Amino acid sequence: MKLIELKDVKKTFKDGRKTIEALKSTNFSVEEGEFVAIIGPSGSGKSTFLTIIGGLQTPTEGKVFIKNDKFSELEEKDRATKRFNEIGFILQASNLIPFLTVKDQLRLVNKVEKSKIDDDKVEKLLSELGIDNLMDKYPSDLSGGEKQRAAIARALYHDPAVILADEPTASLDTDRAFEVVEILARETKKKKKATIMVTHDERLTEYCDSVYTMRDGVLTKNQ
Amino acid sequence: MFLAWQEIKYSKTRFALIIGVVILISYLVFFLMGLAYGLAQENRMSIDKWDADGIVLAEESNLNINMSMFSKDQIETIDAYEKASLGVTSSVVQPQEKTDEESKINVTFFGIDKEEFIYPGVIEGEGFSEENEVIADISLRDEQGINIGDELSLAGMDLTIKIVGFTDNAKFSVGPVLYTDHPTYQRIRASGFGEREDEIISAIAVRSDSGEISDITLSDNELNLYSTGEFISNLPGYTAQVLTFGLMIGFLVLIAAMIIGIFIYVLTLQKSSMLGVMKAQGISSKYIAKSVVGQTFLLSFIGVFTGLVLTLATGLILPAAVPYQNNLLFLVSITTLLIVVAVAGAFFSVRTVVKIDPLEAID
Repeated sequence: MKLIELKDVKKTFKDGRKTIEALKSTNFSVEEGEFVAIIGPSGSGKSTFLTIIGGLQTPTEGKVFIKNDKFSELEEKDRATKRFNEIGFILQASNLIPFLTVKDQLRLVNKVEKSKIDDDKVEKLLSELGIDNLMDKYPSDLSGGEKQRAAIARALYHDPAVILADEPTASLDTDRAFEVVEILARETKKKKKATIMVTHDERLTEYCDSVYTMRDGVLTKNQ
Repeated sequence: MFLAWQEIKYSKTRFALIIGVVILISYLVFFLMGLAYGLAQENRMSIDKWDADGIVLAEESNLNINMSMFSKDQIETIDAYEKASLGVTSSVVQPQEKTDEESKINVTFFGIDKEEFIYPGVIEGEGFSEENEVIADISLRDEQGINIGDELSLAGMDLTIKIVGFTDNAKFSVGPVLYTDHPTYQRIRASGFGEREDEIISAIAVRSDSGEISDITLSDNELNLYSTGEFISNLPGYTAQVLTFGLMIGFLVLIAAMIIGIFIYVLTLQKSSMLGVMKAQGISSKYIAKSVVGQTFLLSFIGVFTGLVLTLATGLILPAAVPYQNNLLFLVSITTLLIVVAVAGAFFSVRTVVKIDPLEAID
């Protein structure tokens, strides 16, 4: 099943009198359980691409489908709700809320949707990611790798269909970076998510099912 | 509230400082209000004690009871449900055995008729029965140490009066009232205008059975009827004083709101990238805004109530001479007002929250 699907998606910006094509007309899809990497130089349109899939901005042309729903056509507010339910974001660093413990980062999800926290689920998820002993720690007490694992836990906790990771290893050393990507790959398979990781580090792509390169707004699949 | 409370718990020092400022401001507001109310009460409490609907003064007095003077017989020209004659004169008294300046006390004499309704309830001692006996305000005992049976001499007169009883809430123009009978009053006042055949009074307090002063009729056009409220607001300095305090308190409430509003606004700006991430994760602006407003509510609630408790505690240890007085209605309304206005100040920040673009958190 295709969890993410882009049909003829195009994004243009106006810069004075010029029109810049940040993303040229693109068709793209990710199946469940598929881990996709997108590499490319900075300014190539990788982030634009990711934020369009995440619904943070709408395409100028074309449609984005998440679980076969016309995501890009939704009203801003409904898109936020869908994003909350179906998309897990993992960002470079500042992903975690500084004044919440690891467990409370997850509890916040429950608070927003007015449900009770499921302690077993939290414990299981955190021990899968190897950070169950850090449950009551604040982000400032965690190392870079631990922070990213907590961010992955936060993204997975709500059981979304899609995981979008924007340079998740940017602030990590090589060993930690490999560990984090390995966890992402494992969870994608196990929980049947569609995961897209934007990175500039080509070595990390060995865990991915397919790799795309973005250059000047054109997305091409690597062989 | 979850986010709001967790953040307060995490950044204890920062929020303690903000709460500290709220405590200080609300303490100031409450305390000022207590003083303003106490002072206003000391101007008017003896009048409130009459529980009269209106007051009749000489037409020429311009609502100034000290300038009002007419014959006691004129009480017959008034048709009211209940009437009480009143002579008012200010004087200086001094305990007999003392001669120093400090022991002189400014007082107001109320010359009254024992059978009429101005006659006060005695809480200690007994009522006056002979000439030169007075019932005094209890502050004379609390602040000056004067007791029942003590004799006071009047400044500039060869006359001594004797305290036979105490009553409470009897202050006029921020000084104690001494109640006495009409003959004694005439003698005290005579030092001002000389002996007269007829008895002179200053005012007649009146009650109507309906509570409306329009039911009371006057047939003497040298006299004028005023409502008690009008009379009180025309007491010398009373309105000016109430307005001054009111303005100060009003501004303080506004300043408190602005300070809390600005604090919350700066905190929100500082957190904007984090809030952007939360919005990217699909947490609605509404949830975040609620949390910001909820946090302001918590801060102002804790601050204002601590300020209130401090004020009440201070009220307990103040010396009797400080005209501080609590009023439940004012305390409740100032508390509510401070919190409501502070929360309103937080709505500045709500706009900022709504405007944060989650896209900026990603780039």
